[in-house]
Amino acid sequence: MFETLRALSDGFVNAFALHNLGWALVGTTLGTAIGVLPGIGPALTVAVLLPVTFTLDPTSAFIMFGGIYSGAMYGGSTTSILLNTPGETGSIATAIDGYMMARQGRGAAALTTAAIGSFVAGTLATVALTFFAPPLARAALRFGPAEYFALTVVAFTTVSLLLGPSRAKGLFSLFLGLSVGLVGIDQLTGDARFSFGIPQLLDGIDVVILVIGLFAVGETIFQAWQYGRSEPEAVVLHDFTGMNRDEWKRSWGPWLRGAAIGFPLGVLPCGGTVIPTFVSYATEKRLSKEPERFGHGAIEGVAGPEAANNAAAAGVLVPLLTLGVPSSATAAVMLAAFQQYGLQPGPLLFTSRPDLVWTLIASLYIGNVMLLVLNLPLVGIWARVMLMPRRLLFAGVLVLASLGAYSLNGSLVDLAILYLVGAVGCAMRVYGVPLVPAVLGLVLGPLAELQFRRALAISEGDLTIFVTRPISFVLLLVAAMLLFSSRLLTTRLASTESA
Amino acid sequence: MPRFIRALCAIATVLAVARPVGAASDAQFEQLRLIAPAAPGGGWDQTARVMQQVLQRTGLVRTVPVENIAGAAGTIGLARFVGSEQGRGDTLLVSGLIMLGGIVMHRSPVTLREVTPIARLTGEYEAIVVPASSPFRTLSDVIRALKERPESLSWGGGSAGGSDQILAGLVAEAVGVPPGRINYVAFSGGGESLSAILGGQVSLGINGLAELEPQIEAKAVRALAISSADRLPGLDVPTLREQGVDVEFENWRSVVAPPGIGERERQRLESVVAAMVATPEWKATLERYRWIDRYLTGESLARFVEREETRVRATLQQLDTGQSSGGLLASGAAYPAFVLTGLALTALAALVAGRTERRSAAASADGEKSWGTVWWIGVALAINLALAEKVGFVIASTAMFWLTSRAFDNRHPARDGVFAALMAVGAYVLFGHLLQLPLPGGVLERWL
Repeated sequence: MFETLRALSDGFVNAFALHNLGWALVGTTLGTAIGVLPGIGPALTVAVLLPVTFTLDPTSAFIMFGGIYSGAMYGGSTTSILLNTPGETGSIATAIDGYMMARQGRGAAALTTAAIGSFVAGTLATVALTFFAPPLARAALRFGPAEYFALTVVAFTTVSLLLGPSRAKGLFSLFLGLSVGLVGIDQLTGDARFSFGIPQLLDGIDVVILVIGLFAVGETIFQAWQYGRSEPEAVVLHDFTGMNRDEWKRSWGPWLRGAAIGFPLGVLPCGGTVIPTFVSYATEKRLSKEPERFGHGAIEGVAGPEAANNAAAAGVLVPLLTLGVPSSATAAVMLAAFQQYGLQPGPLLFTSRPDLVWTLIASLYIGNVMLLVLNLPLVGIWARVMLMPRRLLFAGVLVLASLGAYSLNGSLVDLAILYLVGAVGCAMRVYGVPLVPAVLGLVLGPLAELQFRRALAISEGDLTIFVTRPISFVLLLVAAMLLFSSRLLTTRLASTESA
Repeated sequence: MPRFIRALCAIATVLAVARPVGAASDAQFEQLRLIAPAAPGGGWDQTARVMQQVLQRTGLVRTVPVENIAGAAGTIGLARFVGSEQGRGDTLLVSGLIMLGGIVMHRSPVTLREVTPIARLTGEYEAIVVPASSPFRTLSDVIRALKERPESLSWGGGSAGGSDQILAGLVAEAVGVPPGRINYVAFSGGGESLSAILGGQVSLGINGLAELEPQIEAKAVRALAISSADRLPGLDVPTLREQGVDVEFENWRSVVAPPGIGERERQRLESVVAAMVATPEWKATLERYRWIDRYLTGESLARFVEREETRVRATLQQLDTGQSSGGLLASGAAYPAFVLTGLALTALAALVAGRTERRSAAASADGEKSWGTVWWIGVALAINLALAEKVGFVIASTAMFWLTSRAFDNRHPARDGVFAALMAVGAYVLFGHLLQLPLPGGVLERWL
């Protein structure tokens, strides 16, 4: 413990040199700027900015990495809240209530709770990374395909909370997402499925394209259809001052719980950011006394997922730094960057170059503070985007969404899919089919299938593997309990209401 | 606002600093585009980004933008490369063994015969390891178990049809086990398979040596064999050959140029790559990434690729005849059947639900909907789709912006036009230039 603190303080001494603070600032700014663009996730952000860091000495470069990483993770939330355009998968959950808040004139409050939540959770998670990384990483290795499958089953129970007023329509949306997830190469055999001979479909439909299409493009077309020119724009009283007392009180719990959910799920390799953010969203809805506010601008639905997202981002670094296992695309890019500086990531990284590792960790703390300092004053300015006339706002959304989708692979096919999904999204709105189950289906479906089949391949077709392995068994039990309790709760509520 | 402007200045300074200072006069190329047919983080992406760094630092090329076109073991990038870069003498695609496998696996209509080979650059050996807690001590223990019942051993490695599975097939064949009966579990990406091996989720791990070596050194896994011809200095692991398995294997990577380029252009590309591999920076990089120098060009390269193609094709065809060892539920057909049935049933249920709702809501008909506006937006999207690559991002986006804003409100056409142009140019400069995302410049490319 004492040694850890000393090493960390050495790291801080390195990071606090004036020019290094400057690089941290540049890193967070650049990371946020690119992270804001829909479609450009943290992995590409770090990759694009790598050449910039090559000209620096290793310490400064690592400090900038820390900044870029934190910034890119945070950047997606701004467009998510203001434009209903999640830049990457981690900010989908944020969009649900964040955008509603912005429409109701509480955009500044949503941005504030996202910024502070990111800071609080990011810092807590970095503390956990500092002190408990090695045992956590070892524990994460106990997760095999059976456990991951059980985890996706738990994540699927969150869908039951997001089905919307009509269960039939919600399930239809879910299966729509699952069907879209079928498209592409079967990862276990390499065979193409439902790609209809179009090579661009071989890799499946990118979640980001689906999300931007359903949310941003779909919303634009829907607004045009519903209001068009005829209706004068609704006057909303906007408040640009950040959170009020009640909103502070509502945010605390979700921040802390978000951190507690996000960090361990980030540590698990292949966790991604969708599962932690949606589990956090579902937890908040379940714990809330007024769950009906969710989906209509509940600040808890922004605070929790944003906190979970940033905590998961710090969690990803645990297996990377302690075991040399890159569990996300972003981590893989960072690993490559480490190698540029002659570092061999792996179990021996901490002992071979402790100075750089601790500088990186120190710069994560600094990056989190910088994000807060940088973004809080801007919250009022960004939120004024909502004052733009509707015609310019939606035109801008279309340009940004197209730019993001195109630059994913530089392909017109992606652009065409984006617009098609947009049209579908508009139709779903018109007929009252909820959008979020479709997104969850696309994300979780392929993951569940893959892990299920992997587990069966390892057990040679023996289904009992899911209940004989203790962690998997417990997770499945939790899922069953969650599903059962929610069913019980709704029926009881319904019976008391009708009584 | 000044804060934002200051931030922009900072970005500009950084990118100005990042530009190579190498004198323009001795640069052989003003610009050389590199296309990595994979997502950021993988071996091809790393190769491209390392080349970018070496070429720019040594001043051989002034700017080296890297583009990622991910998918299907590189075959999507290959198809795009052959389709749209025809005859361009300033573009290279990173390629290699895995692409050969992808071409066979995904029955790609485009093959490596259609591109212009420039050079093989690097090779990476593979290693077969077991978790530290495994009962297997040597390769012969594994072979014995394999001969008894091949399915009882699960092999964890990279994506289906990739280098790891090819090697697993070659090893099986060499020891007389039908490759189709190997229980190979494909994981995506190095990290996922590595954690499955470290956690003992699979009985054997098969992966690139560069990824496994740190784990071997830390004794987190036990290495049973490496795929090189001779033992490697500083690594006490026997080769496959010396343990009676007649296989030698490496995952090589190369660069290729588009089809239809002239002889002079080919020579220019070859010479810039030759100059790159001769630099001390390149050599140092190889060491850092634990890549082997496998520089090869010309006739011998063509013959080498041909030989490898035959070998890969033969191995993968044998693997293909194998069945999944997890039974019907683990096959690729069970899940799609479940999902499509579910989709049909829920669609029906939603339709019924919609009917009853509609009837109740019919009274409160929600006013007039403006189909006109929707048409305008449809036109805007169609125009962007049609123009984006033909005449460039700026013009297409300006048109889309203007049409969309017009759809909502047509009272300020001139003002909206100015906004549209400003937004498009601004986005192009910020993302296309400063952040170097690949955006089509189109007819305005020269002025922007």
